[in-house]
Formats: sequence, C-alpha cells, structure tokens
Amino acid sequence: MMNLLVRFLREPAIVRDWDMAAWNAFVPLARSARLLGRCAYLVEQHGLHAVVPPALLDQMRGALAQTRYVQVQAQRELRHVARLMAREHIPLAALKGVAYLVARLPPCQWRNLSDIDVLVPQQDIARAERALLNAGWQPSGDFDDYDRHYYREWMHEVPPMRHPARETEVDLHHNLAPPVSRVSIDAARLWEAMVEVEAAPGLKLSVLGPADMLLHNAVHLFMNDELRGGLRDVVDFRDLYEHFLGADAGFEQALLARADRLDCGLPLYYAVSTATRLCGLQPGAAVIEALARFAPAAPVDRLMRWLIEQALAPDRLGLRVTGLAHQALYIRSHWVRMPLPMLLRHLVRKWLKRRQPQASIADTPG
Amino acid sequence: MSTPLAELSSLLARYYARPDPLPGGQFIDFDLRVSRPVGLRRWVRPQVQFEVDSVRPFEPHPLENAFPMFEWGLNWCIATSAHRHMMLHAGIVAFDDRAMILPGTPGSGKSTLSAALQLRGARLLSDEFGLVRPERIDLLPMPRGIPLKNASIEAILEFAPDADLGPTYPNTRKGRIRHLRPQQFSRDRQDRPATPRWLVFPKYRAGAPEQLRRLDKIEAFRQLAFNCFNYRLLGGVAFQAVTELINSVDCYTFQFSRLSRAVEQLQALAADREPGSG
Repeated sequence: MMNLLVRFLREPAIVRDWDMAAWNAFVPLARSARLLGRCAYLVEQHGLHAVVPPALLDQMRGALAQTRYVQVQAQRELRHVARLMAREHIPLAALKGVAYLVARLPPCQWRNLSDIDVLVPQQDIARAERALLNAGWQPSGDFDDYDRHYYREWMHEVPPMRHPARETEVDLHHNLAPPVSRVSIDAARLWEAMVEVEAAPGLKLSVLGPADMLLHNAVHLFMNDELRGGLRDVVDFRDLYEHFLGADAGFEQALLARADRLDCGLPLYYAVSTATRLCGLQPGAAVIEALARFAPAAPVDRLMRWLIEQALAPDRLGLRVTGLAHQALYIRSHWVRMPLPMLLRHLVRKWLKRRQPQASIADTPG
Repeated sequence: MSTPLAELSSLLARYYARPDPLPGGQFIDFDLRVSRPVGLRRWVRPQVQFEVDSVRPFEPHPLENAFPMFEWGLNWCIATSAHRHMMLHAGIVAFDDRAMILPGTPGSGKSTLSAALQLRGARLLSDEFGLVRPERIDLLPMPRGIPLKNASIEAILEFAPDADLGPTYPNTRKGRIRHLRPQQFSRDRQDRPATPRWLVFPKYRAGAPEQLRRLDKIEAFRQLAFNCFNYRLLGGVAFQAVTELINSVDCYTFQFSRLSRAVEQLQALAADREPGSG
C-alpha cells in the first residue's frame, strides 16, 4: 500500500523516516481529503512536531482555523433549525458532522463540514420543509423539475436549503438511505434508540445512538455518490468506533446486533474492512467473524477493495485510475439505491448536467 | 509549479527565479499545473487551465492569458487556505523593515502606490496580501509581480519610464494588465518579515489634491477589519491581531491623484518628516 496519507493514519510515527519528497507527496493527499486538521492532532498526540516541516504545520493550523469557523457556523445553523422545529413540535435529530459536534464526540476537534444534515420523522418532513421555507430558508440551488421530482419521489431527503443571511446549507432527511434502495432502513427504529443532547442550554434535540451512528456512516460510505474526500468518513468511523468501544466493552456486540436488526450487515462489512485496511482500525475477532457472512463473493470483494482503495487512497492525485474507480463506484452507488430503468434515466440526466467549476477568476484577489 | 507552456515558463523564471537556486528538499505548499486542455480547443481558440491538487477550480481561460491566470490561481490558493495568518487586503512596502500598510478595495490605488513606492527604493512585501502572523504582529513578504490594470499602467510608465513591465494582456476578466516585476532588492529580502509602522488608507480621486490626514484609531480598526480577507473566519484571533496592529501604527487616510506627489508625501512620512496635512 503506497498512499502516504493512509500510512500516516495507520502509523503516525512513520513520518520520522520521511524525506522532503515524501512530505511533498503527502500534502496534496491530506489537503484534498480534508484531513489536514486530523493530521495536526495526530502530530500533536504522537509528539511529532519537530519532524514536520514548519510550513506544513502552518497549513495544518490554517486548516484548523477554517474548521473552527465552519463548526461555529454549523452549530449556529443547527440552533436556528432546532428552535424552529421545537416551535413546530417536530422531533429533530442531528446527523454526521454536526451530530459529532453537538454530542462532543472525538471527531469534533478537527472535523470539517460544509453543510448540516438533520433528520425528522417521515410523516413530518413536508411540514418541516414548509416551516423552514416560511421562516426564510430558500432552496440553495437551481433545482429544475426533474431534480425536485428526483428528491421527492426517490430520495430520503428534500432539496437542500440555505438561509440567505447565513452560509451553511441544511440537508433535511427523513431516513438514512433512499427508500427505494437495496439497503432499506426502518427509520422508526432509529427514533427508538436516539440519544438526547443540547444544542444550547435548554434547546434539546437528538443524535443517533452509538451503533446507529456508525451504521449511518457505513451506509453513507457504501452508497455515497460523492466519494472525493470519503477517506475522512472512514477516519470518522474509526475514531467513533474506538471511542464507543472505549466507553462500553459490549459495544461491538451491540453494533452487530443492531446491524442485523436494521439490515445493514453488508454496509457494515464494507466499512469495517475499509477502516481496517486504510485507517488501522482493529476490530475484535468476533466482529470479523460475524461480518464475514455478509462479505460478497470473493471476486466482487476483491474488486470492491481495489475500487475503494483507488478512489479513497490513490498513490497520488490526478491518476486516471482514480477517476475510473470513482465513476465505477458512482454508478454502483446508484445501482444499490435505484431500480435499473430509473438509474439509467438518472445517469444520462446527470451526465448532461455535469458540475461547473466552483470558483470564478473574477472573484480572486489581485 | 509545472507547465508545458514555454512562454509561461520563461515568464515564471523572470518573475520568480531566485538568485540562489532553491536547495533540494524544499517544501512545496501547492503543487500547481497550468496546461492546455485536450480536445477541440487545442486548435480552435486555444485555452489554458489551472490545476491544484488535481482539481481545476476555474473555467479554462484563453491561452494568451496563461500568466494572469496562474497569478490569480495562486492568489486563490493563498486566500482559501492561508488561515494560519491574518490576511489583509493591502499593499505592503517597507522602509528599513518598518512596514507601511496600504489597505484598499480594488480601485483604491493600493497596487499603483505600492508599485510606485518600490520603484523609488521602498521594499515591496506585497501589492495584495498583507500576511500578518497573529502571535507576533509582523508582516511576511511575498514580493510577486504587481498586476497593473488599465490606466495605472500608463501612470506607472509616466512615473518611471524604465519600469520593468511584462507583456501586455489586453483582454482579461479584470481588464488590460501588465505585471511590474519587483526589484531584486525586494526579492532578495523575501524571507525577512517587517514590523508595522504606518497604516495608510489610500483613495485615488482623479484631479483631487493630495491630502494625508490622521485617522482616528477606532475608525482605522473598522476599516482594517473590513479589509481583512479572513477577519470573520479567524474571529477572536483577528480581533486581537487588528487591535494590536492598530495600537502599534500611526493611522492615516490619503487622498491622491498625482503619483509623484503622492510618493513624495509617503516617503516624507516614512522619513518621519510628517508633512502638514490639509
């Protein structure tokens, strides 16, 4: 395994042997995976300051400053949403990055995020969306009829919204996976296992229970159509896994039982094996044994391992094979969540409307 | 930075080469690539694209604007990631390591003034980014080509007919551009920080007489915070840094129109011969 970022995540002390060429190969990988901040914490934790080039320490500190800022924005946005949902008497749960923040879980020290993901019960989602729109949030992009139809009919979320006075996008979900997909989760069961947290003094909301939180991460990795930077989610998985296991020796058994109950064995298999290979997770023998029965046929398993590695941990950026792996996983992610005719229509549609560059030269300084 | 474009390579050498070649084993902050996209646009109205971390953040540009595109791309890299520093939107020049900070929005004349001051012997730190280390309140130099735009090209040529200007780019997204190459003096000292001493908010007004006025520190704080790219992002760190910076400098507003008069006044200020203000 050649990816230097992965080698560092697995065994930080390895950098003691790195020359400048290795550092220079490492930086673009860490930056594009949005893991510079995570790396800063590993450097500190392992006392490696003296061996990291000072200019890279500056980049890490810069990345952490940026992270702190978006974290503040995200938590402010969550409070706005939580107050509104409280007024409407709609139960609300924070998901993913913002949930780690509000529940003070380990990724909160370094975790970057660009939007907030929240969950409401399915029967309330239309009311929740209307409440947000009435309170000033707006659709945060130009969604045409097809896009709206796609969200409403086939997805587990509504088109993302943003309040014009603020920067953070809100993704409103009613489930963790599209209802039409091969992994279908009974969302009512998630609400049974929620953990209560406070977004502000007296402002209560929920986050997923520990096992469900990891299963969500696994499902997301398994079905995400945007794998660039997906290594960060794998790192989250490992950090959360180790944290929950540290707090409760029975956590692994609970996780397996929950995966059975929510029918998430296959995503969990992929997540555990990916985190083991790429981030040095050390699951207990019982977990490895129990998950083995979810593993796909050996050739498929090997192909998936190879694709995930090419997509999440390429030797360097810009390799053609990385692009191909992304495309294959992109199509696969849709394959597992849509029936075939719908998938074909959708891919053609998306191909015709490919993404435009993010920045404009006219806005650059100088 | 790598590029297969020969003309761009020679411009990069002209603007960035150091007299002492970089020792091997230098840390690379950003690995950039400027190249021509494949496909039809290779022959028909050829284009150029900017790449960092193998992502292309911008639309391709016409091939003839490769150098301005590189410069803007590099600015974008800095503006979006250098949050370890407080980034002032300002030209910075120094007199014996004492820095004069010239903040301003586009059109205020900060680039033109920075260019003119460095042509009269001040050291150029930057025409665009005032990089402040928050824990020390000093300024890090980044002496790069100054992109003079439109009428300021003629203003500089009138001011200094032998100014070392690069090729003319008549049609860019930001108008007509020529880059002033910083003098060797500034480039030789690019590893040497400077200490803030004067804060001058320039305002170019055609035909107006030069007027240098003392500025109230609270108003200076407000204006400097406004001209800080990452003020909101850095939050308390930036508040503290702007406060300390304001407390360590003399603050002025400066209205000007004639470049040579303006430079004389600022030089006099730097020589601590404060001219009577209007």
